[in-house]
Amino acid sequence: MPDWLELVRLRLTGLALEKDDLAQVVEELAGHLDDQYQSLLDKGISEQTATKCVLQQVMDWGELKSKIESSRLKEPTMNRRVSQFWFPAFLTILLAMSFLMIVEALGFEPWISSAWGGPQGTVPVAVVYLPWLITLPFIGALGSYLSGRAGAPSWAVFASVMFPAVPYLAFFIIGLPTAVVLDGHVAHNIAISAFLVGFGVWVVLPAIALLAGGLPVHYFS
Amino acid sequence: MIPPGIKRGTAELVVLSMLQGGALHGYEIARRIEQETNGSLRFTLAALYPMLYRLEKQRWIRGAWETGPNGRRRRCYRLTPAGKLKISPLRKDWSALFAALHRLAGVSNA
Repeated sequence: MPDWLELVRLRLTGLALEKDDLAQVVEELAGHLDDQYQSLLDKGISEQTATKCVLQQVMDWGELKSKIESSRLKEPTMNRRVSQFWFPAFLTILLAMSFLMIVEALGFEPWISSAWGGPQGTVPVAVVYLPWLITLPFIGALGSYLSGRAGAPSWAVFASVMFPAVPYLAFFIIGLPTAVVLDGHVAHNIAISAFLVGFGVWVVLPAIALLAGGLPVHYFS
Repeated sequence: MIPPGIKRGTAELVVLSMLQGGALHGYEIARRIEQETNGSLRFTLAALYPMLYRLEKQRWIRGAWETGPNGRRRRCYRLTPAGKLKISPLRKDWSALFAALHRLAGVSNA
């Protein structure tokens, strides 16, 4: 049986691709030739004839090299990341923040609840801008669509959709604890229940709303 | 107006349509095309892989190495959301070409 891997490697010598990329192309093409060779043998064709038939798959290896080079030349990674992640992510965060400002500017009253009782008489308050939350699924859907249209992998789509929740997440897990430690003006007696309520209202709820729009677009479009 | 590059577009439509049913590796794509067209359409290695790489570069398909039960690695291609969106306009272009040929030369799919 011919060593297809070696044969393809020799025929593609000089192919102007990066080392890893070249190795993958060689392995893939050799696998194809081997599949075809085995298929011909299974049909009862002799090894010699099968080898000849398989080699007829490529009449001009020079032309194939040239076509592979032009079709695999990578565009800059930055361009791809921009279209798949950064652009949809910044658009979703811009829209989410703009809508929040508009909702506040228009004078919509937030829904304020003291339903969650805290220890020792503290009563954490949840402040929820419902009109803003209602816009988030649409923003998540837009981020998912733009990211998916650019051929982004699932993680990039997910990250683009969730991006507007990131500043609030950063505030609650980094900003607030840092402020409590460093800033004398921030009350040190913030109850853990108040922290959790704030986290739930400003991180978890927006994240769920964004995903409610983004995931259906990603999986069903 | 039938767009230029319709011939290439038709080949792309064939490959994208094959991948609508799920992920396939290159040899399987070529085998199924030949099988489902009763041998009328054949993609040699030299024709198939540059096109697969081009489709991948255009982000219409995505390739990923998968290891089969026999331990052999194969690069399987699947449609991206962008690829799924591309199929419909390609089909429309192809239908326009076929209708034009039908009017001019009486070519039919009967």
